[in-house]
Amino acid sequence: MIVFAEINTLAVVVFSIILAITLVITYWASKRARSTAEFYAAGRGITGFQNGLAISGDYLSAASFLGIAGLIYLYGFDGFLYSIGFLVAFLTVMFLLAERMRNAGKFTIADVLSFRLNERPARVAAALGTLNVAAFYLIAQMVGAGVLIEKLVGIDFTLSVLITGTFMLTYVVFGGMLATTWVQIVKAVMLMTGIVVMSVFVLNKVGFNPIELFNRAEAAGKAKESTFSLGPGTFLKNPIDTVSLGLALVLGTAGLPHILMRFFTVPDAKAARSSVVTAMFIIGFFYLLTTTIGFGARAILGQEGVEAAGKGGNLAAPNLAENLGGGVGTTGGDLFLAIIAGVAFATILAVVAGLVLSASSAVAHDVWSSIIRKGRDSDREEVLAAKVAALTIGAIAMAIAIIGGSALNVSFMVGLAFAIAASANFPALLLALTWRRFNTTGAVTGVLFGVVSALGLIIISPIVWGGVPGAPDTGAFTWYDLNNPGLISIPLGFIGCVLGTLLSKERETERSFHELYVRSETGLGAERALAEH
Amino acid sequence: MAEPPAPRGEAHAARTDDAPHQDIDWQAIEASPEFQELVNRRRSFVLPATIFFLVWYMGFILLTAYAKDFMSERVYEGLTVGYCLALTQFVMVLVLGLMYLSRSAKVYDPLAAKAIERWAHLDTDAARAGRAETSRAATTTNEEPAR
Repeated sequence: MIVFAEINTLAVVVFSIILAITLVITYWASKRARSTAEFYAAGRGITGFQNGLAISGDYLSAASFLGIAGLIYLYGFDGFLYSIGFLVAFLTVMFLLAERMRNAGKFTIADVLSFRLNERPARVAAALGTLNVAAFYLIAQMVGAGVLIEKLVGIDFTLSVLITGTFMLTYVVFGGMLATTWVQIVKAVMLMTGIVVMSVFVLNKVGFNPIELFNRAEAAGKAKESTFSLGPGTFLKNPIDTVSLGLALVLGTAGLPHILMRFFTVPDAKAARSSVVTAMFIIGFFYLLTTTIGFGARAILGQEGVEAAGKGGNLAAPNLAENLGGGVGTTGGDLFLAIIAGVAFATILAVVAGLVLSASSAVAHDVWSSIIRKGRDSDREEVLAAKVAALTIGAIAMAIAIIGGSALNVSFMVGLAFAIAASANFPALLLALTWRRFNTTGAVTGVLFGVVSALGLIIISPIVWGGVPGAPDTGAFTWYDLNNPGLISIPLGFIGCVLGTLLSKERETERSFHELYVRSETGLGAERALAEH
Repeated sequence: MAEPPAPRGEAHAARTDDAPHQDIDWQAIEASPEFQELVNRRRSFVLPATIFFLVWYMGFILLTAYAKDFMSERVYEGLTVGYCLALTQFVMVLVLGLMYLSRSAKVYDPLAAKAIERWAHLDTDAARAGRAETSRAATTTNEEPAR
């Protein structure tokens, strides 16, 4: 039941303004989402700088903003480890995949794999990887959205999920990649502005001396029952699990379909490259400031704020904003809280739209158009198929989020998405682009090894069997205590690729490697931007 | 010109573009000294840089996991060794990113342009459209599309 008295009116106003802006964008973009190149890739007319902003908007999820700030508030240094891993991952993307993807691909990860491999099995394998990653990530974000909006605005969880899902689908179905991109750009600007303003407020309290902030956070962290520490080990207690998490973070981004898809929206490899560096600066600056927010929350809210910050400390950042604005009940406090809540809402909308678009492209472009219709469908039919796919995927994600409710663990599902991305998508993509001998059997076994081992290991992990995240607890078996499967499943993904390749007699893929190799390194023959019309 | 037909026509051209570029000799480009120089020069930066960042990052992770006391040591007041090392990761990402950007503009892009110079005329929009026409007309082509 919705209790109107508890609804934060100011927050509703801020949310409405954000939604109005995104709807204007969608209306403008809707006239340019007719062909497949427009629908999936915004006509490849996004500039490097715009794409850098959009990558940031696609990547910095609510888990990054509220989740990491919350973890730093609760545990100190260990929360910051996520920031480092998420950022360094962009070096993997830049050095190994960004330009090659732009040169070799068209709309999806599968395009790159099927370039020289047997088309049908390669597309099925790639679609399997993409859909698994997108599904877990999407459901996690939807649940996160529901929980947050319920807490911050006072709208019921189910209704929150429905609102988020409806707007996400509106952007994707009517505006395609162009609308999605501009929603991501607007969100990135809002998020950066929000975190910078908050950081200035925090730093103002310590005379703009960061060391003083560290000292005050530490002093506040000495309170009874506090888990806060300036050193490691308070959240990530099991060393081998920390290593596994670190590996999954640094390689996982290079397998996230919604991030890789962004490289198809720019005109050439040069723009793809500059967009990664732009994203590195924006994302780097953002993650640096997560410390200011987390430490600021610790110094200002102290141990007394832990209960109000909720599970995982997700509400530490909004609570800090309320405090910085003047405190509970003041106009400034209400306003600052409403704005930060609005920023968090925009953050979720942009990420889920990107995810739905990548999942629907895998279904429409890879499964429907290439496998079922064998390329005989018209361009118009494929766009229609993509819209139907987006609606279906969106509806399923909303249903699971509502049925599973807040019982679903958000960070667990995001971790799973990263682990599958690093274990299934990344090895197959990298080897298809760089290993001459690589073949279809290798790609299929690699993806299967990656997906199955990541899923299987998560199922038997302590976190599923009731353990506290990061605590050396036991899962289904006493000999297995990893919460993140990366350390085992990523090597298994590579082993699957290599074994499958070497054990199969298929050799003709080496012939088509010439074209892929030259194309990915030089851009000759790469997909072009649509002329402005 | 009326608006609707234009995008559809272009989109159609983009689709037929799926036909392999049969008139470009990919093997010859691959064997050319220009292409080899491009690949070698890029690899001579990217490979060591990748190894460096993975070692520096995983080293940080290993220290965080196994050398908790060392990472908690003070450098200055509340600033710990761990935080200083974490900050070096930010510096590393930005420095490597900018280095790669400038090298690409100065060295790799010109080399890539040189490597495909002789073939670029076959890769213009007009050439693509023409190729799409001929490939549709020439149904007798014995070569099955590789993809």
